[in-house]
Amino acid sequence: MDGSNVTTSLAQPMQVNGLSKSYGPVKVIEKLDMHVDPGDFVCIVGPSGAGKTTLLRCLSGLMPATSGEVRVGGKVLTEPLAEIGVVFQDYRGSLMPWMRTLDNVAFPLQGRGVPKAEREERARKCLADVGLENAAHQYPWELSGGMQQRVAIARALAYDAHILLMDEPFGSLDAQTKMGLEDLVLDLRRRLKISVIVVTHDIDEAVYLADRVVVLSGKPSTIVDTVDVDLGPERDQIRTKSDPKFFEYRNRVMDHIMR
Amino acid sequence: MAKSPHKAALRAHAFRGFLMAWWLPVLAVVAWYVLSDSSTSFYFPPLSKILAVLWRDLTDGPLLGYMFVSLSNMAVGLALAILIGVGTGLYIGDHAKVRQAAMPMLNFLRSVPPAAIVPIVIIALGIGAAPKIFIIAFTCLWPILLNTIDGVRGMPEELSDTARAFRIPRGLTYRRVLLMASLPQIMAGIRVAIAVALVLMVISEFFGASAGLGFYINENKQRFAMVETWAGTILIGVLGYVLSAVFLQIERVTLRWYFREAGAQTG
Ligand SMILES: Nc1ncnc2c1ncn2[C@@H]1O[C@H](COP(=O)(O)OP(=O)(O)OP(=O)(O)O)[C@@H](O)[C@H]1O
Ligand SMILES: [Mg+2]
Repeated sequence: MDGSNVTTSLAQPMQVNGLSKSYGPVKVIEKLDMHVDPGDFVCIVGPSGAGKTTLLRCLSGLMPATSGEVRVGGKVLTEPLAEIGVVFQDYRGSLMPWMRTLDNVAFPLQGRGVPKAEREERARKCLADVGLENAAHQYPWELSGGMQQRVAIARALAYDAHILLMDEPFGSLDAQTKMGLEDLVLDLRRRLKISVIVVTHDIDEAVYLADRVVVLSGKPSTIVDTVDVDLGPERDQIRTKSDPKFFEYRNRVMDHIMR
Repeated sequence: MAKSPHKAALRAHAFRGFLMAWWLPVLAVVAWYVLSDSSTSFYFPPLSKILAVLWRDLTDGPLLGYMFVSLSNMAVGLALAILIGVGTGLYIGDHAKVRQAAMPMLNFLRSVPPAAIVPIVIIALGIGAAPKIFIIAFTCLWPILLNTIDGVRGMPEELSDTARAFRIPRGLTYRRVLLMASLPQIMAGIRVAIAVALVLMVISEFFGASAGLGFYINENKQRFAMVETWAGTILIGVLGYVLSAVFLQIERVTLRWYFREAGAQTG
C-alpha cells in the first residue's frame, strides 16, 4: 500500500459493510466487506458472472444493496454522488451517439448548471488529459473502441469525481491499446490524486494496476482473499510484469479463481 | 482540378439514380396524358383538361385559399399530436407503473377507426376548424404516442444509468437523453401520422365544411363536376408526395447520427 496518498488525496474514503445483493431469490453477492482509502487503487477480480457489474452498481449508488451498506466519507450511500464518476462496461452504449465528444464530456457539467463556456473549457482540458484534444468535434461512433473508452474516462474526470469506478474498462480492447490505457489510468490517479476502483476478470491487469486486489469467488460471490500488492507506486508494463513478486501475486490470485 | 473527374462521376451517378427512380412515374403520367387525351368518358376526363382546370382554380379560383385552410388545419392538428404524443409518450415510457395502467386503454383508443368519430366530433364541436383539427390530432396522436413509448423502452440501459450516475436532472434527461434516444422511433411515428393526417384532412372536410380541399372535392362531386373532382384529387396526391419528401429530408438531417452510427457499426 502507498500510504503517502492518504494525506494528499481529495477523495473521501469508501467503506463497504456486509453488502449482500440478490436478484429475487438468487443471491449474487454475500456479505462483502472492504474499504478504499483516499488515493487507493483497488482492483476487484472475479470470473465472468461473479457479480462484478452488480457490485459496481451498488458501489456507485445506482442500485440499492439487499442488505449491508456502502459509506462514502462516513455517509451511507443512497443515490449516485458527485464524488463518484463511473466508467461503464459497455462504453459504446454509455456515450450518447447524438452528441459530439466534447458535448458528451461536458454534459454532466450541464446537469450541474455550469455555464457553457466554462464546461466546454473543462471538457477540453479533460479530453487533453486522456490524449484526445483533437477528437472534440467528432462523434463517438467515428472513434475507435480505445478512443471511445478514453472519452468515457474523460467524462468521469470532467465531472470532478474523486472516486473513479470502472467496470472492465479495457475488456474489449486489443492488447496494445489496453496497456496504453492502463498506464493512462495509473498516471491520472497519480496526477489527480483520486481513488480508483476497477472491477475486472483479468488477473494480470488487476495485479499490474492495483495497490490492493480483492478476489471474488464462489456462488454467491464473497471475498476469498485480499492481496496487498507491494510493487511500488511506479509501474512499468515490461519491468513490473517480469518482477518475480508480480508472478507471486498473480499466482496467488489465480489459485483462488481456479479453485 | 484533380477532384473534378471524381465530381463528374458522382454527378453521373446521381443522374443515373434519378433516372432509375423517376422513369416509371414519368412514363405513367405521359401515358395517362396521351391515352386520355381523346377520352369522352364522363368519369375519366382527359388529363389535359384536368390540369387546365387545376391551374385555373389555383391561380384564379378558390383552390389556393382552400389549400391554405386544409394545410393549416393539418399543421395545427399534427403539431398538437406531436406535442402531446411525445410529451406523454416520454413520461409513460419512463414510468413502468403508469405504462401498465395506461396501455390497455391506449390500445383500445388507438383501434377506434378515425373516420368513425368524424360525425360525433362534428356534432360535438360544430363546424369550423376546431372539429377538423381535433380529428387530425386525435388520429395522429396514436402512432406518435405509441412509438415514443416504444422508443423510450428500447433505450439502452447504459444510457439511463449514465444519466443517473452523473446526476443529470430530470428535465435535462428528458430533453437530451430520452427524447434523443427515442427520436428515430418518434420520427417513424410522425411519418405514419403525416400520411394519416392527409387522409383525415380530406375526410373531415366532407362534412360541415365551407372551405378546404376536401370541401372542394366533395362539393364538385355533388355537382357532378368530374374534372374539378379529379383536379382536387390530383392536387392532394401531389401534396402528399411533397410532404413525405420534405419530411424525409428533415428526418435525414435530424437523425444523421442515427443513420451514420448504424453505418459505422455494420460497415
Ligand atoms: N438485473 C438482473 N436481474 C436478475 N439477475 C441479474 C441481473 N443482473 C445480473 N444478474 C445475474 O447476476 C449475476 C451476476 O451478474 P453481473 O452482470 O453482475 O456479473 P459480472 O461479473 O459483471 O459478469 P461479466 O464479467 O460477464 O460482466 C449473473 O448470474 C446474472 O445473470
Ligand atoms: Mg459485468
